[in-house]
Amino acid sequence: MRRMLIDHVENAYRNLRSNRGRSLLTTLGIAIGVASVTCILALSDGVSSMINNQISSLDGRLAVVRPGLQNNDPNAYVNPIAQQSFSTSTLTEADVAAIAKIPGIEASVPLMTLTGNLTSATKTVKNYPALATTPDFIKTADIKLEEGEFIGDAKSTTTAVIGSQLSLDLFSTDRPIGQQFTMRGVTFTVTGVIARVDDPVNFNNIDVNNAVIFSLERGKLFHQSRAQIQQIDVLTTTSADLSAISEKVHQALIQTHSGEEDFSVLTGSDINQPTNQLYIAIMQVMAAIAAISLVVGGVGIMNIMLVGVAERTREIGIRKAVGASNGTIVIQFIIESLMMSLLGGALGYFLGYVFAFVISTFLYFAPVFTWVTAAVALGMSITIGVFFGLYPAIKAARKDTIESLRQYH
Amino acid sequence: MSPSKKRTPVIELKKLTKRFGIGDAAQNALDAVNLRIDKGEFIAIMGPSGCGKTTLLNVIGLLDHADDGEYFLEEVEVNSLSGRQQAKIRSQQIGVVFQNFNLINRLTVLENVALPLTYLGMSRTKRLESASEVLKTFHLQEREYYMPWQLSGGQMQRVAIARALVNKPSIILADEPTGNLDSRSSHVIMEELSLLHRMGNTIIMVTHNPNLTSYATRVINMLDGRVASDVKIAVQMDDIDTAIPIQLNRHTTKAPVEEEIIVVKKKPRKRKKESKS
Repeated sequence: MRRMLIDHVENAYRNLRSNRGRSLLTTLGIAIGVASVTCILALSDGVSSMINNQISSLDGRLAVVRPGLQNNDPNAYVNPIAQQSFSTSTLTEADVAAIAKIPGIEASVPLMTLTGNLTSATKTVKNYPALATTPDFIKTADIKLEEGEFIGDAKSTTTAVIGSQLSLDLFSTDRPIGQQFTMRGVTFTVTGVIARVDDPVNFNNIDVNNAVIFSLERGKLFHQSRAQIQQIDVLTTTSADLSAISEKVHQALIQTHSGEEDFSVLTGSDINQPTNQLYIAIMQVMAAIAAISLVVGGVGIMNIMLVGVAERTREIGIRKAVGASNGTIVIQFIIESLMMSLLGGALGYFLGYVFAFVISTFLYFAPVFTWVTAAVALGMSITIGVFFGLYPAIKAARKDTIESLRQYH
Repeated sequence: MSPSKKRTPVIELKKLTKRFGIGDAAQNALDAVNLRIDKGEFIAIMGPSGCGKTTLLNVIGLLDHADDGEYFLEEVEVNSLSGRQQAKIRSQQIGVVFQNFNLINRLTVLENVALPLTYLGMSRTKRLESASEVLKTFHLQEREYYMPWQLSGGQMQRVAIARALVNKPSIILADEPTGNLDSRSSHVIMEELSLLHRMGNTIIMVTHNPNLTSYATRVINMLDGRVASDVKIAVQMDDIDTAIPIQLNRHTTKAPVEEEIIVVKKKPRKRKKESKS
């Protein structure tokens, strides 16, 4: 049986080689389908792994408190109201203070996000993200200062740190220390510039390259002295047990919220769920659409196999006359279509990553190699090869031996 | 006691019937044929076109199924066997030679001869070795790596006979093996077949050519799907060693056989067709 298989593979290889042109074109059809699916999967994995890396860089010391209960239904992210981006947050400054009191916590950082139009002496830029936070933010976020200092004084209301891209946009220089700009009528002096980060998509939902960051005090002044906290980053001390601490945080917040659970304390991979799931939902839809091209490729295989069966009718007759059973003929043709689809799959997997890397030069994240993507590419190739090869193969095997032998080709 | 009684029947047909068409148009290609073929016989089946010769051969070769009756091949009822088992019998016990050679054009001569061994599960090297061995006995070893369309008709038929022999079958079926060949090549082919017969093979041959019956030990005439006459020629297996050479000599003295064979009448047209495919 094993020898027969080797024979079939040799035979199929020879058949495909003798019709090089059309085999290659058919293979290309599969390759394009597999390539588009591979490309999309590689990029969607890239997003997940980027955010996971940020979290794991904090070595399991990070917990995040978000208003509202975490919803794991990906459909929820298609609905902007479910994302609660416009609703008033349930988190307050009292919560931040309550968390900070828990032993084993190094930093409890409130994040208040705003947007604003910024005006320098020469330029005005519109709708840039602004973040009001405390000096500890630099501990939880994966950022470094290019120049100057981060919010040194938590009470200062006229100093700001800006992202490197914002610096270029607003001041046309990457050394803006000491320059001034206004936002909502308040004049700020730049005291620091954040070094450019490659992954502006992060669990803090703030693009630090383009952001202006100032103290929470300043943020409150913009909001009639009330903090609007979208998220609290909780960083434990190095020795503390994260799960125990997040439980304590949970209890502390239940108390400050009068027994009501209208917040979520998240750790580990749960933190990136919202971002992740939105991306994954989009990517899955895209992958499903890309899979349609795979079906088209499969139809191409079926078509060319049917041509092959018609052309080789007499050969099939001869093979049966000298001892091939119907099963052997089926296997022979299935192996031929499998060979084409596997070759297409391998080519498509390779091309998919080439596309993904080319596309990623325009994106914030790099494609990732995972065994899942490889397995999906392999699985799809095998399925397409067998599924679309089966009908021609059965058709070949069912041919009447005597009639086949009478055919002249 | 005649020597034929001692021999085991290779093939035994009992009321074998094969119908073509349905309803009023149904016609019996084989009409309750009873036949017993012993080991070592060389049978020539004759008869007008459409009398059921080829159908009989196809049924014996398990390329076709009878509608009624029994077919014992070496005492095994084969009509009721599954397709896979019949394929196994085809690959182990039966060798077939066709009028139009039926070689696969994109395989070399050697690979064509080795083809039946594939389905016995032999390794490639072994296959090609035994194919080469068989080709040597047909003096075709220099043609091993030729493609079939590069050979003359007679050579192609010898390749086809080599292919029929490579799996050492107990019976060899030949459907007008010389039908596409001129008389010289025909004699070469017939000599090969009678040589096989002398080596103890059972051969069943369908032919139109009455001259070829001189090689046979038994001539069956068919008419309308029935056996019209069944004549055993007085050459017995024991005498065969002396009998056949006489025949051989007759032909060889008449037309000395050369290695290169004159091109067949239909050849140029066919070559063109084959090289296209």
